[in-house]
Amino acid sequence: MSIEQLELNPRIIKAVNNANIGVARDILKFSGPDLQRLTRLSASDVHHLQTAVAALFCKKTPVSALQLYRGECPEWDCGLRVSLGCPVLDGVLRGGLLPWGLTELAGPSGAGKSQLAMQLCLSVQYPAQYGGLGSGALYICTEDSFPIRRLKQLQNEQPSLRSDVPPDVVSSICFSDNIYVEHAADLGALMACVSQRVPVLLAQGRVRLLVVDSVAALFRSEFQADQGLERSRHLTAFATALHKLSASYQLPILCVNQVTDVMEGDSNHDAGLRPVDSKVVPALGMAWANQVMVRLMVTRLPGAVSMGTQSSARRRLEVVFAPHLARDSCLFGVWREGTRGLPSPPTQDASS
Amino acid sequence: MKPVSASPLSPSVKVKLLNAGFLTSEELLQLKPLQLSKEGGLSLEEALEVQQILREGVDLPGEGGAGLGSTALELLQQEERSIVTFCSRLDAALGGGIPVGKTTELCGTPGMGKTQLCLQLCIDVQIPECFGGLGGEAVFVDTEGSLVVQRVADMAQAAVQHCCLQDQDAEQRDALKDFTTESLLGHLYLMRCHDYVELLAQVQLLPDFLVKNPKVRLLVIDSLAFPFRRHFEDLSVRTRLLSGLAQQLIRMASQHRVAVVWTNQMTSQLRGGQWELVPALGESWGHSATQRLLLHWSGGRRLASIFKSPSQSESSVAYSVTREGFRDAGQLASSPSGREQDSSSQSESKQDSSSQSGSKRPRTQEGQ
Repeated sequence: MSIEQLELNPRIIKAVNNANIGVARDILKFSGPDLQRLTRLSASDVHHLQTAVAALFCKKTPVSALQLYRGECPEWDCGLRVSLGCPVLDGVLRGGLLPWGLTELAGPSGAGKSQLAMQLCLSVQYPAQYGGLGSGALYICTEDSFPIRRLKQLQNEQPSLRSDVPPDVVSSICFSDNIYVEHAADLGALMACVSQRVPVLLAQGRVRLLVVDSVAALFRSEFQADQGLERSRHLTAFATALHKLSASYQLPILCVNQVTDVMEGDSNHDAGLRPVDSKVVPALGMAWANQVMVRLMVTRLPGAVSMGTQSSARRRLEVVFAPHLARDSCLFGVWREGTRGLPSPPTQDASS
Repeated sequence: MKPVSASPLSPSVKVKLLNAGFLTSEELLQLKPLQLSKEGGLSLEEALEVQQILREGVDLPGEGGAGLGSTALELLQQEERSIVTFCSRLDAALGGGIPVGKTTELCGTPGMGKTQLCLQLCIDVQIPECFGGLGGEAVFVDTEGSLVVQRVADMAQAAVQHCCLQDQDAEQRDALKDFTTESLLGHLYLMRCHDYVELLAQVQLLPDFLVKNPKVRLLVIDSLAFPFRRHFEDLSVRTRLLSGLAQQLIRMASQHRVAVVWTNQMTSQLRGGQWELVPALGESWGHSATQRLLLHWSGGRRLASIFKSPSQSESSVAYSVTREGFRDAGQLASSPSGREQDSSSQSESKQDSSSQSGSKRPRTQEGQ
């Protein structure tokens, strides 16, 4: 955006051009007195200049929280949530995933993270009245190959999991057609996917959920222990790219993360980043934690639970932090039809 | 009586006028343009412009805005009120609450409650004056997307209930008619900035907004660190931008009589061979806020520590975040599910039994 296009007195524009400031946004980087000195304009001229440039970058008028609450600003907050496909799990999240921002799902291997992620990819495809966004999902795998057989099984069992949805609606959705799977073997491929492939799908309106499974894998493998700063920089660049996508398209992003053990010494440093009694903390440290808006953790507990003829290991889903949620948790199991929360009290056939 | 040297004219014109012997703006306005151009050594157009600028009398930033020299006594008498946080211990430690006219920084790791405290302040600034509040409005600049309006509505409802539960005189009953969840949400203005350029632009436009909405008493930026912690090719550019931003915010706080509150992140720094958590944005940024609060965990409790303040001593206070919002630390009975129990039910029964002293300070829930 060049200076000429601003609605200003030509005298001001000429002075700015003579000062060789550059593009319009650079004007914001100078203070009033600095601009006066560079352009030799008076203070009121400089004020007009700064206001005109600022108005370029701040086109939206401020809204009141009441307008947002009444749903009058859908581009900011459409008021929807992405259901997890189970009312108990949704209860912990007060409805489901927020339709914007980074939500992290961390836990040890075998806890059920990929199961939940796949279930989200299915539930986002339902229409809004059934907790979806009526669109598909993009699943980026960085670890193992995508568990396609399990996805097929989940898809076939949807009528059984989602008994709240009329059968004709369930059968009308072609689930596997709307799930795009990408594999990223290294950081370069991951960044390329996020900056090129994803925007194309978003612009076509084909996906409204992005899953990265997992974030930790590539960042932990490609950087040595002493390359902390380097890793931080790449992590920030990756997170910035994700935030940009999320803001431009109101896209919820689920990042699956691994965990590391809590070190004895710094029990206070990361105290807020994990549940109080947890021996593990999500990987990638403070640099990543600062980028995440909602942090959820899943853990595997001793004992098993049963539902009908099926039996599953006991697991827990917990909110570590979120701007709108209490530190709630619930127990859940992984069944043939998917992940289902256990309404308390849960049935157990083994003492904990 | 504004001196010529402090008037918003371009430097070359000012020099000419001062050399011609003009001392105050009033002298410049009393002459006809032709006279002014002759006596001041200016061209006719310049003289016309000078008079037009002086008549506009735009109160420009940095040009002798808030009074040319008050005495310290006058400033003391003007000492602004504070916005309560609804955590009575924290309010006591802060000398009443978050001060209006000054800048306050909230630091802490994710999940400590910085956004919660910001939202609580946005609600508390609107408490009517007869309840001991400021009866003002609030502006919330969101850079992270952490504003979920359902949460604000919950906190607003809890605040309304809190005020309704107290004994009221006629004036207070009257004020309560307008103190509803809707009105609380209606007087909270929201702005969303997705990167630091938008944030700088928004802050540039804020003074005009504050002039048009003179009832605003609180400006919150949540979070200020987030857009600046992306990669900068040249860190000195970031430092310069941040210091310019700090000056604008400090000026806004005192000129427009608003409390400016912003949140900062924490970062790990190697100090003396050990990794420590320090506030982000660098050493020089630490000087920008008048007051700094650090929210952190200690021994299983949430603590708010004042670690920089010109008037209060360094102290730590326990707090909690409940469904109702930011509150004193109640008796937290952690159930197996790990849920923090609401301290509201216990405090409400205490309020009913304690006697009302008739003071006009907003009654906050007493912690144990």
